[in-house]
Amino acid sequence: MTAKTPFIISRLIWVSGLLLAILLAAMILGSSMGSSGGGIISVLQVLSGKSDPDSMLHTIIWRIRLPRVLLAALVGATLSLGGLVFQALLRNLLAEPYILGISGGSAIGAIAGILLGLSRFPGVSLTAFLGSIATLVLILVMTSGQTVLKKESLLLSGVMVNAFCSSVIMFLVSLTQDSRLHNIIFWLMGDLSTADIRQVGLLAGMLLPCFILIFRYSHAMNLLLMGKEMAQSTGINIKVVTIALLVTSSFMVSATVSYCGLIGFVGLVMPHLLRLIFGADHRLLVPACILGGGSYLVICDLLARTLPEQGEMPAGVITALIGAPLFILLLKRSKR
Amino acid sequence: MSLFESNFSPPQSRTKVRLIQKSVIIFWFSFLALFMCLIPRVAAGTFVDQLERQVTLPDDPQRVISLAPSITEIIYALEQENRLKGVTRHSDFPIQATKLPKIGSYVRLDLERIVALNPDLCIAIKDGNPKEVIDRLESFKIPVYVVNPRNLNTVLETIIEIGNILNADDKAETLLTNLHDRIQRVKSLISQDTYRPGVFFQIGISPIVSVGTDTFLHELIVLAGGENLADGKTPYPRFSREQVLALAPEIFIVTSMARQAVFERVKAEWRRWPSMPAVRNERIFLVDSNLFDRPSPRLVDGLELLIKLIHPELLK
Repeated sequence: MTAKTPFIISRLIWVSGLLLAILLAAMILGSSMGSSGGGIISVLQVLSGKSDPDSMLHTIIWRIRLPRVLLAALVGATLSLGGLVFQALLRNLLAEPYILGISGGSAIGAIAGILLGLSRFPGVSLTAFLGSIATLVLILVMTSGQTVLKKESLLLSGVMVNAFCSSVIMFLVSLTQDSRLHNIIFWLMGDLSTADIRQVGLLAGMLLPCFILIFRYSHAMNLLLMGKEMAQSTGINIKVVTIALLVTSSFMVSATVSYCGLIGFVGLVMPHLLRLIFGADHRLLVPACILGGGSYLVICDLLARTLPEQGEMPAGVITALIGAPLFILLLKRSKR
Repeated sequence: MSLFESNFSPPQSRTKVRLIQKSVIIFWFSFLALFMCLIPRVAAGTFVDQLERQVTLPDDPQRVISLAPSITEIIYALEQENRLKGVTRHSDFPIQATKLPKIGSYVRLDLERIVALNPDLCIAIKDGNPKEVIDRLESFKIPVYVVNPRNLNTVLETIIEIGNILNADDKAETLLTNLHDRIQRVKSLISQDTYRPGVFFQIGISPIVSVGTDTFLHELIVLAGGENLADGKTPYPRFSREQVLALAPEIFIVTSMARQAVFERVKAEWRRWPSMPAVRNERIFLVDSNLFDRPSPRLVDGLELLIKLIHPELLK
C-alpha cells in the first residue's frame, strides 16, 4: 500500500461511510419486519434499550431477528468479497465461488460431514473447507498449462466442476433415506434461519481476520490485474499473494457454506455493481464489497422471509432470482 | 366401527370370541396399570421424553404448540384442543385445526412465530422436526417434549404420554381401550384365514416408491393379513416397473396426496399389464396417505380400511 494518497483516504472514508449507512438502514429494516409483525418505531425503541427487556418484541428482536440479520450481513460480505478476490486473481469478471464450483465443493464436504454425524463446528466446517480446497485445486489443475487463464476455458472448467459437484450432491442426497433429507435440501438452497448469536459470533471470529488480510492485499490485487510483469516489477511475491488470497477466500466461503448452505450470485452481483459505481481500485472495492454485499443479502433475506404468505423461502432463491438475469446481462455486455 | 359390528364372526363362535375379548381387555388394563406406574416421573413437573431427555413441564399447560400434524391429531383426539395455540401448516385433521395459527411446516418451523405465540409447552416429533430449532426453542426457556413413535405400540404409548402431560389421563385411557379393541378385532378376523395375499403399496408415483419393513405401513399391511412385497431393510425402496411386475402383486394400493386424476392416470398405466394379478382381478385401490403416514390414532382407521381392501371376504 505504497501509493496511498490523501485522495484515496478521503474517498475511502466517504464510500465506506455511505455504504455503512445503507447497511445499518438495511439491518434496522431487517430487524423491524418478520412473521410476527413489528414496526420500525417500536424496533428503534427496543434497539436503543428503551423497552421492557422481558417483553415479547424485545426477545424476538434481540434473539431471533438480530442474529439472523447479522448472519446475513456477514455471509453477504464474505460471498461478495470472495467473488471480488476470485475475479481479480483469475482476471475474469465472471468468476465467482458459486459459478466456479467452489461453493459446490464445500457443500459436498458439508453434506458428507452431516451424513457422518459430525457437529456443525468444527466438524462440518472442516469437511466443507476440505471440499472447497479440493475443487479449487481441481479447477487450477484443469486450467494449468495455459500461461494466461482464459475466460472461456476457466468458465468452462468451472461449469464442469459445478455440474460434477451437483451430481455428487444429488447422489449423496439420494442415498439419504430419512428425515435428514428435508433438512439437507432446505439447507442446500441457502438457509439463514437457524442463526443464534453464539454461532454468529463464532463465524465473525473466523471471518473478520480474513477480511483484514484481504484488505491488506488489496493493493497487490490492483497490481496483479495490471499483469504479472508489472506486479513483479513492484516487488510483490505473486505466488505468495495468490496462494494466500485463494486459500483465505476458499476458507471464508466454506465457513459460510457450512453454516447456511449454497447462496449463489451474491459474489457476482455486488462486485460488479460496485465496480461500475466506484471504479476498479481494490483498496476501495474491498471495504465496499464487505459493506455492500452485507446489505444485499440482508435485503434478500428480508424479502425471502416476508414475501411468502405462509412460512418462508430460502434466501438463495431470491439472490439467484435477482442474480441470474443480471449475470446474463453482464455476460452480454462483456462480449461486446 | 360399524364395519365390524354388523359383520362380525359367525354365531357359533361368538361366545368364544367374547371370552377372548374379555380376557384381552383385562390383560390390556393390567398392562396399562403397569405402564402408568412406569411412566418416568422424576419429580413433580419433571418428565423424561421419548428421547430420554429430562424436561420440566408446567403442571397444567395452557398454551401448547404442536409441531407436527400427527401431534395435532392426538391432541384433538384427547379433546384437549382448548390448550392448543398453534399448529403446523399441514395440520388438516380435524378440519377445525386449520383455523389455528400456523407456525410453518413441520420440517421448516418458523421460530419467530412460535416464540411470538408465547407457548408454555411445545410437543415435537423426532422424525422431521429439525434438531437445531428444538435446541433454540429450549434456549428461549420454552419446554419441548419430544415424541418418537416407531410403530403402532409406541403410537399408543405416545397417546398415553401426551394425555399424561396434558392432564387428560382418563380420556387417553378411553381412547386407548377403543383403539386396542379395534386392533384386536382385526387380529381375530385375520386369524380365521391363513391366506396372505401379496400387497404392493405404492407411496411414490414417479419414481415408484414403496415401503420397507421398518415403517408404519408395513406393520399395518401385515396386521391386515397381507404380505408386503416390498419388505426389506430399506425404509422407502424404489422400484422399476419391471420389478413390480415380477413381484406379481395381487393387491395394488396407491396412496396419494395428489388428486383423483393422478390416480386414474397411474391406474391406467398399470392396466396395460393384465398379467399382473391385481390388474386381472380389478384390485387397484387409491387410499388417503394421511391415514398411513401420520403416527396418530387414525392409523387404526387405516388398518380397518386395509383389511377391507385385502380381505373383503372376511367381512361378509
